[in-house]
Amino acid sequence: MSEILFIGLSLSSILLLIALGLSITYGAMGVINMAHGELVMIGAYTAVLSGIYLNLNLFFALPLAFVVSALVGLGLEKLVIRRLYGRIIDTLLATWGVAIILQQLIRLEFGLSFFGIHIEGLGPGLQNMDVPAFLTQPFEIAGIPIQPYRSFIIVVTLLLTLLTWFLMYRTSIGTQVRAIMRNPQIAAACGIDVRRVSAFTFAYGSGLAGIAGVLLAGFKTVMPDMGASTVVDGFLVVVVGGVGSLLGTVLASALLGQINGVFAILTNDILARAVVFGVVIAIILWRPRGLFAFKSR
Amino acid sequence: MTRTKLFKYGDWGIYILFIVIVLGLPLVMTDVFWLNRIAKYLVYGMLGIAIALSWGYAGILNLGQGLFFGLGAYMVAMSLKLQSYTSLQQGSDTPVPDFMLWNAEPGAPTELCCITSGSWLWLPFQAQWFGMVMAIVLPVILALVLSSAIFRLRVSGVYVAIITLALVLLVRLLIIDAQPITNGFNGLTDLGWLTIGGFEFDPYLVSTYYIVAVSICVVLLATRWLVSTRAGLILQSTRDDPNRSRYLGYDVAAYQVFFFTVSAGIAGFAGMLYVIAAEFASPSFLDITFSISMVVWAAVGGRSSLIGAAIGAILINTIEATASETEMFREAWKLIIGVIFVAVVLYMPRGLAGLARDAVGLFAQTRDSGKTRTARSGAPAE
Repeated sequence: MSEILFIGLSLSSILLLIALGLSITYGAMGVINMAHGELVMIGAYTAVLSGIYLNLNLFFALPLAFVVSALVGLGLEKLVIRRLYGRIIDTLLATWGVAIILQQLIRLEFGLSFFGIHIEGLGPGLQNMDVPAFLTQPFEIAGIPIQPYRSFIIVVTLLLTLLTWFLMYRTSIGTQVRAIMRNPQIAAACGIDVRRVSAFTFAYGSGLAGIAGVLLAGFKTVMPDMGASTVVDGFLVVVVGGVGSLLGTVLASALLGQINGVFAILTNDILARAVVFGVVIAIILWRPRGLFAFKSR
Repeated sequence: MTRTKLFKYGDWGIYILFIVIVLGLPLVMTDVFWLNRIAKYLVYGMLGIAIALSWGYAGILNLGQGLFFGLGAYMVAMSLKLQSYTSLQQGSDTPVPDFMLWNAEPGAPTELCCITSGSWLWLPFQAQWFGMVMAIVLPVILALVLSSAIFRLRVSGVYVAIITLALVLLVRLLIIDAQPITNGFNGLTDLGWLTIGGFEFDPYLVSTYYIVAVSICVVLLATRWLVSTRAGLILQSTRDDPNRSRYLGYDVAAYQVFFFTVSAGIAGFAGMLYVIAAEFASPSFLDITFSISMVVWAAVGGRSSLIGAAIGAILINTIEATASETEMFREAWKLIIGVIFVAVVLYMPRGLAGLARDAVGLFAQTRDSGKTRTARSGAPAE
């Protein structure tokens, strides 16, 4: 029983890791960022490259990936998303294009492969990130086997969630973000620099995606389209939880992760994912605003 | 000629030009390989029409159009699979698909009724017409049920997109999981040819091209007529302001359900034609990438123009096929398409159709101002 719960918890933490960044960019800014998965992918590649060229291990790659993804996110906001606020479907389509561009840039090694230059760690092939040895040895506490890497992911996810909560609910910039979330015009009228705060928020959400990428790289192969499949899951979590509700996102990822874990054991992985999609559809039909959306007019 | 007349004639001119080119192509293009390729892209063009109808005219973004396309494809592929030569060679008097033998329980009889669990579902598909009818009926029924639920509950905007997205992924997983009756990931390959009245439609025949070509022309004209009817106009009003339409007494959900279903039916029909031309059906038809690609084609061509969306789909795919001849350029082309897409959304939200319309408008304007100028300069002489 505890094992099933652990599997579910582990799946939940990965969902939450990806959804956390999205809940900020989508929830706070009304941007459907289909390139979020590619920001995850960039985080993973940052870990791979910093391992090859800088000899940095996982722990140093985490902050580095945060910075790299945040910078890419900032550029994305300034170049594309800034022009599309309020046109939610268009943000979806434009960022889909951005996602293709980012994937191809990695695959073509930023175009260098046309000139016959090859950078180790980039290109269309599969990459690997080394995980420190002490995180791969399973150990037991009171007779229960513990997977150290999975536990590490859960702990990091919890810390990031707490940090995000603190930023959003206990700092002045968080108050500004939440004000923009409710009503950007009134927020601007109150003297909040909506553009600057939005850019900051988007960069922060992108940075979280970068961290998610490093952690994913520990147990998944790193490749240019690794992020594409994660973004939809992340969205479903955010929508089910309720747009703009951090608590909702946490609970929704716990719920969907556990459903996935339980059904994976009862049937198989494929059907378990199908059940998750079914539950998501039912919840959206029943409560389109999500389970924990704040009341707004 | 007044401005509105110019737009009207220009519009009809494009339609006639399109139909003439599509129907006349085999006279110029004798390479059957390319003709077969173009037939597939015409099918994509039909998907563009389906997207423009639901997205442009109804304001409903369906990110799961691949679901209806895929179901249509699978239905007709099941029938054609049973007509395949290999299906008759499995040691039974009646056709049995080869993959079922690989998935059969030891000792199961080699009969369609009971070789694998659920294989009896294939029984009616022994008749080719059944598969062809189901290719449209199944998507229509599913769309009817789905859209009734969505629009009666007044789910709107981005949530419709998310529901359709989740549903296409759900069905894709079910198809993959039902390996014994769908051949899972591999899909249905090695199909027989469509046979009507003893005539076999080899995909590389000009007659097969004409099935697709005539179909897209008919669908194009039919949808064009549909949106200009009273119902089509009411639909556009529900897109612009659903609440106002509701207050005016229209049953908004009914119009949305009707057009969503028509769009799904077109997608199912397109799926059927695709299988006839491409000779396979696979779960990749239900990938999100494919469904979003359709929206991309429609957006590039012009989301609120039926013919624009069709041309966008055909154009992008034809260029892509030409570009993918070399390995290097294939990857670069994907990069270019990403850039085009971002640029279209940012700078050309009405797509190619919008561009054409602006050009006609500009032409009318310069001509009109030219006229007034000559009139003015001519005045003192009189």
